[in-house]
Amino acid sequence: MTETPKKSEEPQKGTVVYLCTCRGEIGRHIDLEHVAEVLRKDPRVSAVAIHDDLCSQEGQKFLRDDFKQKGYARVAIGACSANLQGQIISNALVEEGLNKYLIEQVNIREHCAWVHPDKKAATSKAKALVRGAIARAENLVPLEDIEIPIKDSTLVIGGGVTGMQAALDISAAGYKVYIVERTKELGGRTYKLSMTFPTHNCGICCVQYCRECVFTPKIEDVLQNRNIEVMLESEVEDIAGGFGSRHVKLKTPSGPKELDVGTIIVATGSKTFDPKRIPELNSEDPNVITSVELEQLLVAAREKGGKLKRLSDGKVPKVVNFIQCVGSRDKVKGNLHCSLVCCTYAIGQAREIKKSIPDAEVYVHYIDLRGPYRGFEEFYQAAKEEGINFVRGRVSEVVVDKGKTYVRAADTDLDTLLNIDSDLVVLSVGQEPADGSDELAKLLHIQTDIDKFMKDINPMFPSEFRRGIYVAGTAQGPKGIRYSIEDAKAAAASAIELMRRGKTEFPRIVAFVDEERCRGCGRCEKACEYEAITVTKDPVKGVLVSKIDEIRCEGCGQCAVACCNKAITINNFTPQQVEAMVRAIAEEADADG
Amino acid sequence: MAEKYEPKIIAFTCTWCGYPSASMAGVNKIEYPANVNIVRVMCSGSVEPGVILDAFEHGADGVMVFGCLMDNCHYVSGNKKAEERIDALKRLFDILGLDSRRLHTEWINASERAKFAKTVKDFVEQVRELGPIPLKRVKKEVKEASKEKTLASVKQLIEDTGAFDCVECGKCTTVCPIAKFDTEFAPRTIVLKAMEGIVDNIAKDKDIWTCITCEQCNAMCPYKVDYSGFIRGMREEAVQFGAAPLCSQGGLIHSAQRIMANSSLKQNRLSWVKDDMKVSDKKGDVFYFVGCLPHYDAIFYDREGLKMTQICESAVRIMNKAGIVPVVSNEEKCCGHDLNWTGDEKNFEKLMEYNMDLIKKSGAKKVVFTCPECYRTFKMDYQDLAGDLEFELVHMSDFVKDLVDSGALKLEGGKTDGGTFSYHDSCRLGRHSGVYDSPRELAKAFSGSKFVEMENTRDKAVCCGVSGWSNCNANSKKIQVDRVMEAKKVGADRLLMFCPKCQIHMRCAIQDKVPVDESMVDVRLEDFTVAIAKLLGLVPEDS
Repeated sequence: MTETPKKSEEPQKGTVVYLCTCRGEIGRHIDLEHVAEVLRKDPRVSAVAIHDDLCSQEGQKFLRDDFKQKGYARVAIGACSANLQGQIISNALVEEGLNKYLIEQVNIREHCAWVHPDKKAATSKAKALVRGAIARAENLVPLEDIEIPIKDSTLVIGGGVTGMQAALDISAAGYKVYIVERTKELGGRTYKLSMTFPTHNCGICCVQYCRECVFTPKIEDVLQNRNIEVMLESEVEDIAGGFGSRHVKLKTPSGPKELDVGTIIVATGSKTFDPKRIPELNSEDPNVITSVELEQLLVAAREKGGKLKRLSDGKVPKVVNFIQCVGSRDKVKGNLHCSLVCCTYAIGQAREIKKSIPDAEVYVHYIDLRGPYRGFEEFYQAAKEEGINFVRGRVSEVVVDKGKTYVRAADTDLDTLLNIDSDLVVLSVGQEPADGSDELAKLLHIQTDIDKFMKDINPMFPSEFRRGIYVAGTAQGPKGIRYSIEDAKAAAASAIELMRRGKTEFPRIVAFVDEERCRGCGRCEKACEYEAITVTKDPVKGVLVSKIDEIRCEGCGQCAVACCNKAITINNFTPQQVEAMVRAIAEEADADG
Repeated sequence: MAEKYEPKIIAFTCTWCGYPSASMAGVNKIEYPANVNIVRVMCSGSVEPGVILDAFEHGADGVMVFGCLMDNCHYVSGNKKAEERIDALKRLFDILGLDSRRLHTEWINASERAKFAKTVKDFVEQVRELGPIPLKRVKKEVKEASKEKTLASVKQLIEDTGAFDCVECGKCTTVCPIAKFDTEFAPRTIVLKAMEGIVDNIAKDKDIWTCITCEQCNAMCPYKVDYSGFIRGMREEAVQFGAAPLCSQGGLIHSAQRIMANSSLKQNRLSWVKDDMKVSDKKGDVFYFVGCLPHYDAIFYDREGLKMTQICESAVRIMNKAGIVPVVSNEEKCCGHDLNWTGDEKNFEKLMEYNMDLIKKSGAKKVVFTCPECYRTFKMDYQDLAGDLEFELVHMSDFVKDLVDSGALKLEGGKTDGGTFSYHDSCRLGRHSGVYDSPRELAKAFSGSKFVEMENTRDKAVCCGVSGWSNCNANSKKIQVDRVMEAKKVGADRLLMFCPKCQIHMRCAIQDKVPVDESMVDVRLEDFTVAIAKLLGLVPEDS
């Protein structure tokens, strides 16, 4: 092996490889020294450096200095996931002037070091992956981001507590907001509640237990705001356009309406689980009601005065059983997820019943009591002190026999079977996405998760949805009122930030047409889900050719695969670039030195 | 001591679910075999079949594609399209004998870390059980190209093709279908450049790849310069310097052909042979060389109305009708035409040796071809390289005509749809091989239908615009659309041709958007062999 010595003081072009030991997280499982040694013999590689912690301040300084000194053309990195910490590494280089599209990072931590205990195998795989990164880096081309103008108006879909809060915050920042709400009134499901946690009453104004006061101030704020246009009994029909400029078609009582907005807040909320899906709970029986129906009874009792009366015969219930997790934590008949709010509201309702009917026996059947909220434990302690019986065990069935309703359950703490003759059974129904949420998600090209709620790009960071669209409140997943409001504020802040700059930069990982090769067949146009491609006739040449709207294009590559001629490719993911990487990895197979 | 076989696996993961599910498996330290190497792409639907097959050529033993859960694609429908595409690719894998079990698609949510690990583990085991692929892999090659060597080769090429005789009269340029649209292109300038010894830029020279080798120029040249042959030779030289054709379908077709050249895989080519068809699998007097038809049905799975295996079915049924039981071999491989015309002489020769040996073993005295390219390749290229073959080579048109002449087959009285039709001379059959008359004789037998000739016919016939599945572009489409319009202009509502590629290319041009009024290209494109079988009622009319 003859290796030409390189003078370090001269700027070196070519590809440099940085390997990160991740303070031992990678280094423990992969012999990086060996990888480096082998790669140094690769004629495409100018240098290989191993660092202990590339994403640390020190690591970034190392990268900057190294780049400043040597000025590499391309960089291949073997470290962690390029999706999270990886950007810290590339950002350091980008700040020194390296085009960010010339950096390729492979994940030798999550995808290698952490999953392969055999050090030899992991080392060999890491070598192949980095070799792939080098080959890909070699084929990358520098690009500039796309600058996207953002229109200064917002569409809020859903006029519940989340939508209203977002609208108020955005309008306060000076932007026009449109709220579209499909029911006849603002306030959503929260508006129908008799009381809320943790105050155990509304606590907003002076008149305790007044139905109107719970949300009236917010609703009035929204209705009075000149910057907010509220459209009730209206629905979104279609949304076209791309990031920063979306054209919305609405169906309103006064006919169709069209708007142009820069940002969208999706606050479509949730609905409660339909207990009919669990037949053994006998929800058809008039003395078996859902928590939502109980709220209405409580509201009625408060308005008319007097105690809570059951609907079947007007009798004041003396034995009340709350059944938790109806439709939640049930893979078979309901949903796997925990609905998060049911324990809290059930305790509130139980206490309310105990307060108005002190001699009532109140049971709460639960599997686990979950209320990781400030004040919950105190709330729960108070309920126990007030004499509410908490029974650990899932109710197996509700039996209606000769006009009586029996709750059959096990008390797993005492290991006894219970058969409680019950006056009223309350089903603590869980949360599911609101009707039509799926269709809206499709229209907005938002993914849904396994639980059918809209899916975050990064579950750790609320409001980071895509391309000027933010999902907030229970549309994103079950949550309480306070957390929905927080969500709304976060989404509003993100939307405001975007609109305040009036523009944003987006990676140019979008379709590109080689017009000489394009046959104008239109298969790409057909494959595109975003209406980002139009085939037009070139007036000079008289041929058909595809044109890309880069702002609408999401860079998925359906068009590129559909093109039999590869006249259309995705920047940064061309077949050559992907192929180079794959080849390098595949060829590495038996080259272990 | 046999070491445990460790398959090399490439896993394409989408950015939104596949890649993060692997990362989550990592965060949770869920172990899985190190055989799997993750390559991130934007969407599972952006994975090119050509890239997948290429991975196998370069050492992969299995390929996985991870995308979002169905109905939950980050890009709406990418995973669904990926599934259809990879299902079709699996069919190609089975035909090639690569085994579709070496391809796996998995639809996964970003959070499904355990599923990721389990899927990988199961797949690695499955591929391990399938064992190593009997395929010679492409290794990182060091190109030993030297300018001197190339200069000498080009000099030889100039002599062999008579290029030295070019007097720059420009007659070739006038008839060149490419030059008609690309004013910078002229056959003679390529030759001229080479003669001046300008081979420095041979790797970057676009023109040698732009030529569609249709031989319009050859046919016109007063000095009999073999321009197409010259181009073929230049490509061979250019490839030495790293030049590559821009292959259709992302190189999938060429890749499949190279795999045939370099493997001893047990193919499954004959699923189109139906129970009531009589064929022999080893020995017989007549060998029917099917060509790539079964591959095309898998590759062009999404082209409406395209059924290439109908051609071979028709051919066998026609032969059966005349009392002939042809040898149809599951071991047949690509004739090598496309590799030959894209500068890959080495693999072309491997295929040639293989096929000649196969036919020799069958004891056949006669080899019949429906595909004009296979026919030309055997007749000219094989015989050029290997000397005269021991068996007779016959094109289907001549073969059927002989059967009719001898009375073994009767075409008269067959069903026809009564319309007007024309015949397109494919370049490989007409100009390259000189078969012009038999198709026309047969056309006359289509009683009830009216046969008309187009303006450009026989040796003046305009080509289908693409050759060797490479360098298709806007000009190709213009040529194709023009050709179909020519048929319409003479009143034809049906255009027959023998070449499967002509049919695919011209269908491609008129099936989607066209730059002219659609009524001007409203012509039904059909294979001639299929048309004969329909005439005889041997295959059903299209519904």
